[in-house]
Amino acid sequence: MSKENKKYWKSIDEYNKKELPVSKSDEFMEGTTDEFDPSKLDGLSRRKFLALLSASTAFAVTACSDYHDQKELAPYIKRPDGLLPGKPNYYASTCSGCSQACGILIKTREGRPIKVDGNDLHPINKGKICATGQASVYNLYDPSRLQFPTKGKNKVDWASADSDIINKLDKIVKSGKKIAVITHPINSPTEKKLLDEFKQRYSTAEVYSYELFNNCNKKFAWFKSYGSPEIPSIKWDEADIILSLESDFLAKEANHVEATRLFSSRRDIMKSDHFNRLYVAEAGMSLTNTNSDYRIQVRPDAQYDFVLSLMSEVVKRGASVINVDSSVKKKLSNYSLDSFVTKWNLDAIKVNYLIDDLVNNKGKAIVYAGDVLPADVHIAVNLLNEILGNTKLYDYDKAYVNTGRQAHLDDFKVLINSFNKSEFGAVIHYDVNPAFHIPSSMNYADALKNVGLVVSLVESENESTVSDTYTLPINHAFESWGDAQARKNVYSLRQPVIAPLYNSRQREAILLTWITSSSEAYNDDMYHQYLMESCRENIYNKMKLAVDFKSFWFAALHDGYVELNKQSTKKHVFDLTAFDLRKHSSASTDFGLLLSRSYFIGDGRFANNGWLQEIPHPISKAAWDNYAAIAPSTAKKMDLEIGDVIKVSVGDNSVNLPVMIQPGVLQDMITVELGYGRTVIGDAGKDAGINANDLLNQQSGSSPWITSGVSIEKTGEEYELVSTQEHHPLDEDFVKDFHLKRGIIREATLTEYKKNPEFAREHDEELVSITSEHKFTETKWGMAIDMNKCVSCATCVASCDVENNVPVVGKDQVANGREMHWIRIDRYYSGTPEDPIVSNQPMLCQHCDNAPCENVCPVNATNHSPDGLNQMVYNRCVGTRYCANNCPYKVRRFNFFNFLDHFADSYYENEVTPLVYNPEVTIRSRGVMEKCSFCVQKISEEREDAIREGREIKGENVVTACQQACPADAIVFGDVNDPNSRVSQYKKHNLGYLVLQNLNVRPNVTYVAKLRNTHSEDT
Amino acid sequence: MKKTILDYTLKVRVPLTIFVVAISFIITFYVSREERDGVGYQPEQPIHYSHKLHAGKMGIDCQYCHTGVTKERHALIPSVNICMNCHTVARKDRPEIIKLREYYESGKLLPWKRVHKVPEYAYFNHSVHVNKGIDCESCHGNIREMEVVKQVKSFTMNACLDCHREPQKYLPYLSEVKEGPKYCAACHR
Repeated sequence: MSKENKKYWKSIDEYNKKELPVSKSDEFMEGTTDEFDPSKLDGLSRRKFLALLSASTAFAVTACSDYHDQKELAPYIKRPDGLLPGKPNYYASTCSGCSQACGILIKTREGRPIKVDGNDLHPINKGKICATGQASVYNLYDPSRLQFPTKGKNKVDWASADSDIINKLDKIVKSGKKIAVITHPINSPTEKKLLDEFKQRYSTAEVYSYELFNNCNKKFAWFKSYGSPEIPSIKWDEADIILSLESDFLAKEANHVEATRLFSSRRDIMKSDHFNRLYVAEAGMSLTNTNSDYRIQVRPDAQYDFVLSLMSEVVKRGASVINVDSSVKKKLSNYSLDSFVTKWNLDAIKVNYLIDDLVNNKGKAIVYAGDVLPADVHIAVNLLNEILGNTKLYDYDKAYVNTGRQAHLDDFKVLINSFNKSEFGAVIHYDVNPAFHIPSSMNYADALKNVGLVVSLVESENESTVSDTYTLPINHAFESWGDAQARKNVYSLRQPVIAPLYNSRQREAILLTWITSSSEAYNDDMYHQYLMESCRENIYNKMKLAVDFKSFWFAALHDGYVELNKQSTKKHVFDLTAFDLRKHSSASTDFGLLLSRSYFIGDGRFANNGWLQEIPHPISKAAWDNYAAIAPSTAKKMDLEIGDVIKVSVGDNSVNLPVMIQPGVLQDMITVELGYGRTVIGDAGKDAGINANDLLNQQSGSSPWITSGVSIEKTGEEYELVSTQEHHPLDEDFVKDFHLKRGIIREATLTEYKKNPEFAREHDEELVSITSEHKFTETKWGMAIDMNKCVSCATCVASCDVENNVPVVGKDQVANGREMHWIRIDRYYSGTPEDPIVSNQPMLCQHCDNAPCENVCPVNATNHSPDGLNQMVYNRCVGTRYCANNCPYKVRRFNFFNFLDHFADSYYENEVTPLVYNPEVTIRSRGVMEKCSFCVQKISEEREDAIREGREIKGENVVTACQQACPADAIVFGDVNDPNSRVSQYKKHNLGYLVLQNLNVRPNVTYVAKLRNTHSEDT
Repeated sequence: MKKTILDYTLKVRVPLTIFVVAISFIITFYVSREERDGVGYQPEQPIHYSHKLHAGKMGIDCQYCHTGVTKERHALIPSVNICMNCHTVARKDRPEIIKLREYYESGKLLPWKRVHKVPEYAYFNHSVHVNKGIDCESCHGNIREMEVVKQVKSFTMNACLDCHREPQKYLPYLSEVKEGPKYCAACHR
């Protein structure tokens, strides 16, 4: 190990040597299970009584019935072509989780979608999607989905609702009142056309599209700089130096799945040791930040000064590749990097490295500003990239398609005013939830009462479905036709993979019915026809292909996308007049607030998805909640501890939030994630987190997500935040000394590695087994995880949850350390709490050759297979939990309850939700242990295929769920006995090491030691 | 010492009772074993379909109807349209065929009674067995002789493992048969 004495820590308390909460450090503590007190149980509820009644009836009936009876099997009357019960079918489609329109492949079994993965062929996301996309299949079976149209609380039928609405809309138009259609930005060309037609049909209709988190600032800057709002995509894989300014481009912005793939491809130790170098300048602690080589702490309101100081330094050094106008030089003369460094007390060495790197890597570096930053920062960044010649890394062929102007908070203020003046006769919520997203102080919900007709087209009830008007259920994306174009070069199609589960219609078809003025015009196929026609006009006709439309259409549906002909792009010339100085610097030193999107539940759209709520936050590892993240020094100053509730006030608005002390956050900064605190939602999302949308900066002209001059106040209340961070600790206090020697995380800098290539293994010990070794002669399964590529996005966790039917346990059980994830991402800090270095490590069952869990099981429920799997036999397990106790990696999970009916008042106990489960994996019940199986169902599938095709099993044909999902391609699975397989290449590599190697448990997961690409002088 | 009635009870009656109970339990256990495993189960089917006629007398290949057997886990009960391949023409007037056509035309599900079943936590796969050359008869008995299908062999884990351990004994017609996998994850996941 390079830094023998580097000490890793996982929480502030641990760093300060405070004792951990006992429930977190000691899962097996006496009394943890004592909470089961029958007297505390609710009495006999109606549900329980009925369950009991039906159970006893069932028993009675069984006793009298023929126990041989194996029930009935009903075959298809006419089996559809290509559908084999027992075999999955895959359909290409387009994800609708956000506006990026990634290509997806939906796996269906017996006609029901059970898994979503990226579409391998898709030119943008290349077979990968984010965690939210992975878990989105759950939303189809969400029990809170609306099942029929309602008016107020009354069920209505579609025909009467349609004719009434059409009637009313016509009257509104006649009376001269306006109709507001509120939508999210529409990335579908056909839907855009449809909305235009709607506007034509109802002449007073106005469309307002908005997104809580958008790139409008960036788009505006691009428009000012280059005269077009078309933002190019970045060739991350060609960038040697990346400077990210308050941008979480690896997890939240633009197409982060694509960015992760391209970024990580430059950290591939098998291909080259020419790594990229990532500088991050930000105030919070984002996922991108944890992957940085250098972190510089800059407040968001000081970013403008930072960029100009950098630019001034570059110009001063004469490094500009373009002719810098004297007016620009004059403008820059007031800025100097040195004084910026002194003013903000930055590390001068780091900033020097940064400026050297930027200057020395002109044309191969990129400065990238985050969506939250104001437009003038983006313009300055654009100019800086021009000056450095970095525009070579812009890819205009894959540019982001402009979805049109979006409504800002200012526009909503005007809109709400007009509502109150009764200028609007109708509001149509087109699959949106503005009452939740718009700060409550703007009184959107109240203003709706002054609008005669409110129609909400939604999947399930939300804050905006006002009780006394129409709420029309719409289809889930998997039940709908559609198209999308997020990027200039790709047109994607969406096809239904299941018939609508309920009496819902797809949202486009509802509008189409209203356009035709007759409720009878509706049929299930109408939007399909409309879409085909629009595709023929806009895509097919322009492509001038030799094939007829029908073949084109089916080929496009099969692939899920069409790659469009390259359009000649006009030259993008930077307009220097766009670059103008701010009147006065906005940088302040008082409390600053930075708002961002939740990593998994987005802007609240996915709040009812238990899988997503339960994935721990990538950095804090908190689940089911949002919080105000503050620096340890701020906490000390204000005498705050984790869980203390503070009142955060911005102007007249205030929100009470629990505190999370987050190492790495800048002093006097608060970062809060939005999307939590939904009130009108299903059981999972209810009471999860706190709605902090009131903290949005409502000042006109400023970035809504950045505020300074925030005041915070301790309230004295406490709130329980649950975090998985101290669960399953590898390094409990009493083994801490061992931990230093064990080198669970092994990392070095690139230079150190080049000097000492064997550093990762030099402390490994030659160990002798006392038992005779088992020879694995045929296939032996193994995995390698490249920690250079892993960015800890947790997509693997989501994918594993869906593939392996991992139950959601709820916040109260996470508090007890009972989360059931088969794979987790351990996060270790090193350095100081103010400026920590973060190391991440995915941890899953290591399928040890000498597995310690196996020899303590009294019933042989866990044992070894001849192909190297550590098997778990649920039927044998009696729940002693000895194995979990003896597992050094703490990856075994115990079913303390029958989690399917335990979580949130039997949330899963309904007819529909269990349909999401993968039929290839057993559903575990109470009292049994479970853990990662290396996706044994996929191994069996390969064996089946190999036998059918009469060949040997091929290791690389088995792709585990985590591997399939990993956007960074950091996980490799295969046959370690095959010397040519990728996994054995990693195993042989001198960076490959085994965690806890000296226990001689012989794990089968090889970790590739992380290299940080810092300057050699640092080491 | 005088023998009491208690002595007699303790020394003779109780052991004898225990012995009789135990013996009868053991005998019942073994005798009823097959019955409990479902051997001999022969439910009445909604349509009196005869395997003896179709597979035996007419010699139709099993895979003509059970199409999944080489492709996947399930052998598949034939979908009604497979029956109708012939019966749109053949024997249209027989009462059972009329019944069949009613199902086909109305689209009502045809609820065949299931005969053979392994528990749902055992992931049995037809294709791996059939593609290795194992005959249907080895597990299902001589279906060609059955008017109504009946379970003739036990479908317990023991029965599976017997053959996996000694395939030569149970599958003498396969000259180069290897032992089947015997570890848990081969069937359970």
